[in-house]
Amino acid sequence: MAVETWRRRGALWLPGIMAAPTRASWRLLGALCLQRPAIVSAALSPMEEVVARLMQQLETERSRLSDHEVRHQAEEEQLRHPKDRGDDLASSSVVLARDLEEVWEDRFQKAELSPRLTDADKNNDRTSLNRKLDSNLTLLVKQKVGDQELWLLPQMEWQSGETLRNTAERALVSFLGESLTGAKFLGNAPCGLYKYKYPRAISTEDSMGAKVFFFKALLQSSHLSKEESKADCVWVTKSEMEDYLKPEYLKQISRFVVDL
Amino acid sequence: MRLPLGQVLCLGKAAFPKQVFTVSRSAAFRENPICAVGGTLLSCSRHYQSQPTHGIGRFRHLAPKIVKKRKERVQMKEINPGTDYEYGDLNIEIIGYDMCLVEGYARFVHKLCQNLSVRVIGSYALPTKTTEVMVVQEVGNKMYMDAVLTTHQRVVQVRSLSATFAPILLEIMQSNQPEGVRLSVKEYTESDFKIRLKTRTELEDLMSQLSN
Repeated sequence: MAVETWRRRGALWLPGIMAAPTRASWRLLGALCLQRPAIVSAALSPMEEVVARLMQQLETERSRLSDHEVRHQAEEEQLRHPKDRGDDLASSSVVLARDLEEVWEDRFQKAELSPRLTDADKNNDRTSLNRKLDSNLTLLVKQKVGDQELWLLPQMEWQSGETLRNTAERALVSFLGESLTGAKFLGNAPCGLYKYKYPRAISTEDSMGAKVFFFKALLQSSHLSKEESKADCVWVTKSEMEDYLKPEYLKQISRFVVDL
Repeated sequence: MRLPLGQVLCLGKAAFPKQVFTVSRSAAFRENPICAVGGTLLSCSRHYQSQPTHGIGRFRHLAPKIVKKRKERVQMKEINPGTDYEYGDLNIEIIGYDMCLVEGYARFVHKLCQNLSVRVIGSYALPTKTTEVMVVQEVGNKMYMDAVLTTHQRVVQVRSLSATFAPILLEIMQSNQPEGVRLSVKEYTESDFKIRLKTRTELEDLMSQLSN
């Protein structure tokens, strides 16, 4: 553990100031795990549905009458046995409870509910944010690392003088062109780490490998200006990530990507 | 050597001890009239206050005397995040229209904090606000009442949440949020404390009259 921190400190100092030791230093990268939280609650499993229905029935049977129902009953009683008085309920201009119920029923019938499966679901269009409304979607970008084009979480190289979180924010801005208010960072602490060593051919004394620190952010609005994205980006759920990511990378990432 | 009552000189014969025993028994009866034949309590000379073990459990006279004075509940001191990277007092507010959902979620958050060993200082409810939704009638210009909405608010107060753990806690709370319930995490300030107190209108009137 002490060796690791020593190495990290080695990265922060300029090479000239450091004394002669030949310890290798790691390149630091800040990456962004941008998630669009679920918009619609997940559908209940069959067992949950049965239990929910039973509980609803029990509660309705045990519950007391609300104000509206009490009023409704009183008015029905009065209509059935009209007392000989000056004011007759049927002719007066008081709004009855049953009229209100009819109005509400009409309004309910006319209301249209938007569907759970959107068009993007049917087309399996992974670049749109409008699919899979009941699960978290994470952003994946195609980036050039070394000499390969890989699918990764958007990452950028750390520059001295800024915090790692600022690096992640820069990555957000560069890949999505999104202003910083569109995404809410959950905190200053990184949520995960992935480190890898460079193959023998490239590794020098200065850079033995790279460490990527991941920061989590939640997308506030569900609409993005798609034209601004400069690279290929895709929004995927946790299970679909296997199609894009390398197995070791995926293993480290799935430790902090949560999908209920 | 005097023998105590009940003991018997062993003289070999079985009949003899029995005799002596009966004598001793009747003597004991005379001394202890409570168990006399008849069943009811004949004498009222109770021994419990002169018993050696009387007052064996008393400790209040040894403890320091606490005088309870009526004072306003002082505000808790705030800890700003220092080098330890901990938040001070945080208010987790849960606001919604449906009371069952709001209360259930508040219970969930409270239990979650306890299980994750995040220190919970308090949890309270703010008064319910009633909103009347008035809709303009289609035919005329008059407004009639369409619905009455009640907004419920519950607060869970948390202290010294570490900054490395806060994002994880936030994410768990956010992903378990029920529909129609709003979650907001704020720092605890004096205005939050003042909202809970009622204003004393008569006192304020009198004070303004005095100053005038």
